[in-house]
Amino acid sequence: MVPILSLASSYLNLTGTAATIVDTLVYAIAVSVLIIAFDYIFGWLERKTIAKIQRRHGPTYAGKYGLLQNMADFVKLLAKEHVAPKRADKLLFLSTIPTMLALTIFLVFLIPLAPTLIETNVGLGLLVVFVLLSFMPLIIFANGFGSGNKFAAISAQRSVVMLLSYEVPLIFVIAAVGALGGSYSLAGLVGAQNPWWFVVLMPIGFVVFFIAMLAEVERPPFDIREADNELIAGWLTDVSAPYYTLALFLDYSRMLLGSLLIAILFFGGWSGPLLPPFVWLLLKAFVISFFIMIIRATMVRMRIDRLLRFGWALLLPLSLINLILTYLVFIR
Amino acid sequence: MVTRINIGPVHPSTHGVLRLVADIDGDTVVNLEPHIGFLHRGVEKLVETRMYMQNPPYMEKLDYVAPMSYDEAYVATVEKAMGVEVKERAQWVRTILLELQRIASHLLWLGTMANDVGQFFTVFMWTFTDRDRILRLLEEASGARMFYVNMRIGGLIRDLPPGFDERAREVLSYIEKKMKKYEDFLEKDPLFTERMKGVGVLSRERAIALGVTGPVLRASGINYDVRKDNPYYVYDKLGFQTQVRSDGDCFARYKVRMLEMTESIRLVRAALDKIPEGDALGMPVKLILPSAKNRMVTLSRELPRGECLMYMVADSQRPYRLSIRSPTFINLAALKEMSRGCKTADIFAISGSLDLIMGDVDR
Repeated sequence: MVPILSLASSYLNLTGTAATIVDTLVYAIAVSVLIIAFDYIFGWLERKTIAKIQRRHGPTYAGKYGLLQNMADFVKLLAKEHVAPKRADKLLFLSTIPTMLALTIFLVFLIPLAPTLIETNVGLGLLVVFVLLSFMPLIIFANGFGSGNKFAAISAQRSVVMLLSYEVPLIFVIAAVGALGGSYSLAGLVGAQNPWWFVVLMPIGFVVFFIAMLAEVERPPFDIREADNELIAGWLTDVSAPYYTLALFLDYSRMLLGSLLIAILFFGGWSGPLLPPFVWLLLKAFVISFFIMIIRATMVRMRIDRLLRFGWALLLPLSLINLILTYLVFIR
Repeated sequence: MVTRINIGPVHPSTHGVLRLVADIDGDTVVNLEPHIGFLHRGVEKLVETRMYMQNPPYMEKLDYVAPMSYDEAYVATVEKAMGVEVKERAQWVRTILLELQRIASHLLWLGTMANDVGQFFTVFMWTFTDRDRILRLLEEASGARMFYVNMRIGGLIRDLPPGFDERAREVLSYIEKKMKKYEDFLEKDPLFTERMKGVGVLSRERAIALGVTGPVLRASGINYDVRKDNPYYVYDKLGFQTQVRSDGDCFARYKVRMLEMTESIRLVRAALDKIPEGDALGMPVKLILPSAKNRMVTLSRELPRGECLMYMVADSQRPYRLSIRSPTFINLAALKEMSRGCKTADIFAISGSLDLIMGDVDR
């Protein structure tokens, strides 16, 4: 544990379990702050980058370079009235978005951000992360179904179809990664990438994983669930004011989560010269997020039936080939 | 199980206030009913209460993406009723302006089309920026940016400004360069071609039976363009080629419009080369004391969205009755048939490829 994170427990003179609990709490708060900072910066950066691609200026008025624009938006959204539709199942409709955000933060919490921050490093971290991650579409399904809106219901159905289409190839790639690294702990996998990153050792696996992650974190061209020009906002159609703010945070938090996973599994995690490991990991995640942003500005959305075919006819064979090649070349 | 969903009248992809009631079985569209009339302003009736030259502003607001075309179609109808010949230079200038307007209109369509298949506003913003350069040209020529009202009986409100020729050529070569970029950007994207090819097929027979016109008709393999088959102004002197595709799907409609833009660029260039010197001014509005020679007049024009037919019963001071066959109203009727059996997401690709303007549909 980094000394600065155990300041509280040492100040309180705690030892044993109590110290662990306090340290974990402090770490959880630090991770949450990190996620919110990332969300804020990326919310701004995405607007600016896409504006540049589209030959616009993006936000300019609020703050220097429009840096305060997102703050203004959040304040506006929080000040608005929250309306839950009459026909909505209140429990499903109101509990799902906070649950998803909490789940995302928890998942980032499970990811070791530096070799010294592996207190939460679970032995089967890789499996835990992806099992929890595959709950997301189901929660979205619950939300869409509970909001009592037909567009949201269609979005909910699409959510399940998406889950079917990319989850199996994703699992095969994870199996290959685990086999190659000889470990299911995320820190162990980073250690296993010492001379060569996994992106070099299994490029096919990386491509499949990247595409599946795009779908997992719901970025274009796989933002089929909230296809704004077909389903208005998909499962977010009836979500208003404070919950929509959470949904925006959720969007970028998931992007951070996806980028962190890609960076850890394929780009050597925190390994890198000169800079501290924590900075390296964030830098890699930042570059990957930036790439995902550019994809958003340039790609055309995929159709849902096409995604199913794409997943089963292309991604699945590729992931199987990747698994077999990995076994034949590196493990046997 | 068939679900009925109500799309619109306020929806991101219905280009205005179109309401679509779609019956959806799973993800397949079983039936689709367009409901119109949310933008009905009674223009045809309004026209009857005003003098001839007070009407162009109303006509322009029918199609707010290509106002000049409607302006011209109406003024030409009045000219025909009064038996006035358009001045030689004015004919050339009108041709140039109409074709520039067509390019501007198609550029807007290209952007919204890309949006409808799920592009995140990138092509939309690019085409809007390019379209603005044409709008600036039209502003130079007419004095207004959006609603020009620069047609007068027998000519125009003013001649082309000095230096228009060079600036127009500059803009045209710029647009031509950009067009290649858009084609590269979109057609090399397998996701885009996949969303467009084989979607919303309208067969040759059904296209004729439904009476669709314009790029939608030509994409179904029928070689008909008013500019070629019933030429007006100087189109027959410019070697105009009709652009036809035979597939009848969204991609064919996309391609026809892209080719039409290229053709329009060529037409404007040719017209700028050959334009004669002379006088292009029309009659001042206040001096007109119309004495309609022809009681009943029909006039057809190729607007950017299809064929417009103006039917006017003339009176001494004002139209007794004006009936407009608006292209998009007829084209919209094909939407129901084209989207039957397609996927939910394709409804918007198809309605986007029809290039609907609700002001024109509802009148």
